[in-house]
Amino acid sequence: MTTTAFKLNYLTNVGFCADFGGRGFMMPTAMAIRSDGRIFVASRSNTTALRVVGIQMVSRDHDYYGQIGERGTGDGQMIWPTALALDGNDNLYLADESLNRISRFDPDGNFVASWGTTGRGPGEIDGPSGLLFDRDDNLLVVDHKNNRVQRFTKDGASLSTFGSQGDGDGEFNLPWGVAQDGDGNLYVADWRNDRIQKFTSDGRFLAKYGESGDGEGQFNRPAGLAVGSDGNIYVADWGNQRLQVLDPDGRFLTTVRGDADLNPWALEYLHAQADEERARSSYVPVFDVDTDDPSEVSARIEPFFWDPVAVAMDGSDRVYVLETCRHRFQVYEQA
Amino acid sequence: MVAVKQDSRLMAHLLRRAGFGATPDELDQALQKGYDATLEDLLNPIGDDDVPEDLIRRYHVDQSDLRGSPAASAHWVYRMVTTEAPLREKMCLFWHRIFATGATKLIQARVVTNQIDMFRQHGMGNFSDILLRVSRDPAMLMWLDNQDNHKGSINENYGREILELFSMGVGNYTEEDIKECSRAFTGWRVVNPDYMSIKMRNNTARPYGYIAWQFEYDDDDHDHGQKTFLGETGDLNGEDAVDIICKQEATARFIARHLYHFFVADEYPVPQWPHTAPVDPHAIDVMTKAYFDSGYSIKEMLRATFTSDFFKSEASRFARTKSPAEMVVGTMRLAGGIELPSDDTYLGARTCANMGQGLMAPPSVEGWQGGGDWINTGTYVARVNFASKILHDASRPGLRSVIDRVQQSTSGSAHSPESLVGACLEVLGPIEVADGTRSSLIEYARTHGDLSQTAGSAFDAAVISLIQMIVSTQEYQMV
Repeated sequence: MTTTAFKLNYLTNVGFCADFGGRGFMMPTAMAIRSDGRIFVASRSNTTALRVVGIQMVSRDHDYYGQIGERGTGDGQMIWPTALALDGNDNLYLADESLNRISRFDPDGNFVASWGTTGRGPGEIDGPSGLLFDRDDNLLVVDHKNNRVQRFTKDGASLSTFGSQGDGDGEFNLPWGVAQDGDGNLYVADWRNDRIQKFTSDGRFLAKYGESGDGEGQFNRPAGLAVGSDGNIYVADWGNQRLQVLDPDGRFLTTVRGDADLNPWALEYLHAQADEERARSSYVPVFDVDTDDPSEVSARIEPFFWDPVAVAMDGSDRVYVLETCRHRFQVYEQA
Repeated sequence: MVAVKQDSRLMAHLLRRAGFGATPDELDQALQKGYDATLEDLLNPIGDDDVPEDLIRRYHVDQSDLRGSPAASAHWVYRMVTTEAPLREKMCLFWHRIFATGATKLIQARVVTNQIDMFRQHGMGNFSDILLRVSRDPAMLMWLDNQDNHKGSINENYGREILELFSMGVGNYTEEDIKECSRAFTGWRVVNPDYMSIKMRNNTARPYGYIAWQFEYDDDDHDHGQKTFLGETGDLNGEDAVDIICKQEATARFIARHLYHFFVADEYPVPQWPHTAPVDPHAIDVMTKAYFDSGYSIKEMLRATFTSDFFKSEASRFARTKSPAEMVVGTMRLAGGIELPSDDTYLGARTCANMGQGLMAPPSVEGWQGGGDWINTGTYVARVNFASKILHDASRPGLRSVIDRVQQSTSGSAHSPESLVGACLEVLGPIEVADGTRSSLIEYARTHGDLSQTAGSAFDAAVISLIQMIVSTQEYQMV
C-alpha cells in the first residue's frame, strides 16, 4: 500500500494593512467563516489607528463588505477583540478580553446583546480568548486567565466548566484557541504548555499532543487551531511562525511557513503608486536571513506568516491562516 | 557609624549612576556584597533578562511588530524597569544618545529596537566592534542615507557623522577625510534597497505592514580605489576606516567625555567641545588611558571610572541632571510591580517624550544634549505629575516596602514630622536636600497632624503625600 505525502497548496491571500482605513485589516486576531462564504475578521489594531478596531467582512474572492462595530466600551463596541464564533442561526459572537464580555450581532451585523462578569467564580470570566459553538449550539469560552474552558448558553447562563491551572492532563497554562472535530471532541491550544489537548464533548481528557520546541510535532505557544473533516488538526504554531498539521492521532504531517504573493488589493494599490511599483520590480521577497529568531525572520520576509494566530476551515476543507502582523490571511487546500 | 553611613551613600550613588537607583532592599543587598563586588556584577551581567516576550506580544499586539514608536518605546521601558542588569540598560541609553537614530524618519521602530538590542549585547565590549556593528546596522545606514552612497557618486552623510558625532569630534579631521571615509563605506546598504527606501520615504505600511531590514554589502558598488584617510593609504573598506578611527586619541577622548557626561557630572554641550576644555581633564586622561591599555574596551573605561576618586568624591554626588528616562524608570522601579498587560509602560514612554526625551525619537542625529536642557517649566511639571501618578498606590510592592520601612524606622519617635521627613529622604535615596527644603518638607509633614497613633491607610496616605512632595523638589531632579 502506498501513502501519498500530505501536502498543502497555496491558493491566495486576503487582506491589506488598513491603518488609514479602507478595505483591509489592522493587527487582526480572530476570524470566523459563515456558511455562505462571508468571512469575519476582528482587527485589534495598535494604540493610534483606532478607527479600524472592529470586525471587517470579506470573501475569499477579495470582496470587501465593510465593518461591524468600532472601538469603545458601549454596545457593539470593543477594546481588545480576541475571538469570533457563529451560532446555528448565523449570529456572530465576539469575545473581548479587556472588557471581559461576549457580544452578539445578528446576521446583518446589528448589535443584539452582550454579557460577561469579570471574576474567578462559576460563570465569571477573565480573559476570554477562544469561542466555539458545540453541537448543542452552546457556547464554549476559553477563559484563559482562569485556565479553564466554560460552557454557556447563548445568553450567558453558565452550564459547565473544565480545566484548571497546571501542566498535567486536563490542566492548562493560559490556553488560547479551541476547535472541534466531526464527533464533537474538543481541542484546546494549551498555549504556555506548548501543546494541544483533546477532550470529549463534555470535557473529559482524551489525549495531548506536542511539546516545547521548533521541530516536527513540537510547538512554541500554539495560539489557534481548526480540525478538518478528515480529522487532521491544523495548528497556528504562533511562536514558531508557522502552520503545523497533525493527523487525527496527533502525528506530525507537515509545516507551512507562508507563501503570500500580491493579492488583488495589493496590486491595485501598487498600480496607483508608480514609484513604489517601480521600486518593487527589483524587490526580492525571499532571501537568506542572518538571524535565527523566527519572529525577526517573518518581519523581514514578506510572504512568511508573521504571528499566525488563528486557523479556520471552510465547507470544502480549505485552510485559512490569519496573521496578525501582516494584516491578512492565507488560504491553502490539500493537494 | 559614620563610616557605615558613608558606605551607604556611596553605594546609593553608584547604583543611581550605574543603574536606575536602588530600592531599599536592593541597597541592603549591595551593601552586603560591598562596592567592588557590586561593581563587578554590574559590569558582568549574567545571561539575558527574562522578558516574557510571549505575554507581551499576546496582549500588546503592537509590540509584536514594533512598528510604531509608542509600542517600541513602551517595550523598552518594560525592559529598563524590570532588568536585573541595569548598567547594561544604561549603556543602551548611552549609545542611543550618541548613535542617535530616529524611528521618525525610518517610519518603523522595529529596526531601531534591533539596534538598541545590539547595544544591549555588545555595548560594554570593544569600541571598534561596536563602531563596526553600528556601521552595518540597517537602521543607521538608512537613517544616514548610506544606501545612496555609491561608487562614483558618494553620499557623505555617514562618512561625516561617523567622524563628527560618533568618534572623533569636530576639529580632528579634514573635509578630505570625510570624502575618503565616505568612499570606504560605498556598497554598505540594506537588502532590497530601492523598495525599502521608497517605503520609508512614502511612509507606507502597505500592502502588508512593514518589512524589517537586513544589512547587505554590494562589492560591485564599492569604490576599490586608493584612499588616504587620517594619514593612512590603501584600498580602504569600511572595516579599515573603523580600525583607523579607533586608533586615534581624539576618539578615545571623545568617548571618554561622553562617558563623563553620562556617568560622572554634567559636561558642556557637545557643540562646545572643540573649544572648551573638559570639566575634569584628569578624568578624561584616566579614561583615555584605560581605553588604550585595554585595547579599546568600554568595560575597562567604565571600571576605571567607577573605581576612581573623581567618581566617588562628594563633588560628583547629585552632580548630574536626571534624564527623563532615568526619572521615569527610576520612579517605576521604586514603585515596583509591573503586571502584564500594562498601561504603565506606555504611560512611562509618553512621559519620557513629554519630558523631552522621546525614546527612539531623538530630535536629530546629534541626540539630546541633556544636562540643564532637561529642565524647563513644562518638563518640570511633567516630572512632578508622573511621579505623583506612579507613587500613589500603596499596594504596589515597592511602595508598600518603602512605607513599611518608614513606619518601622520612625515608630520610636512617634512618627514625628522631623523623623518622617528624614526617613523618607533616607529611603528614597538617600537624598540630600538643602536646609530650606528640609524645613519646608517638615512643615508639610506637620499638616498631617499627630501621626503617633496612626496606622493603616491614614499612615500610608501621609507617607505617600510626603513622598510626592519630595519627588517634586529640585534636589530630586538631580542624580
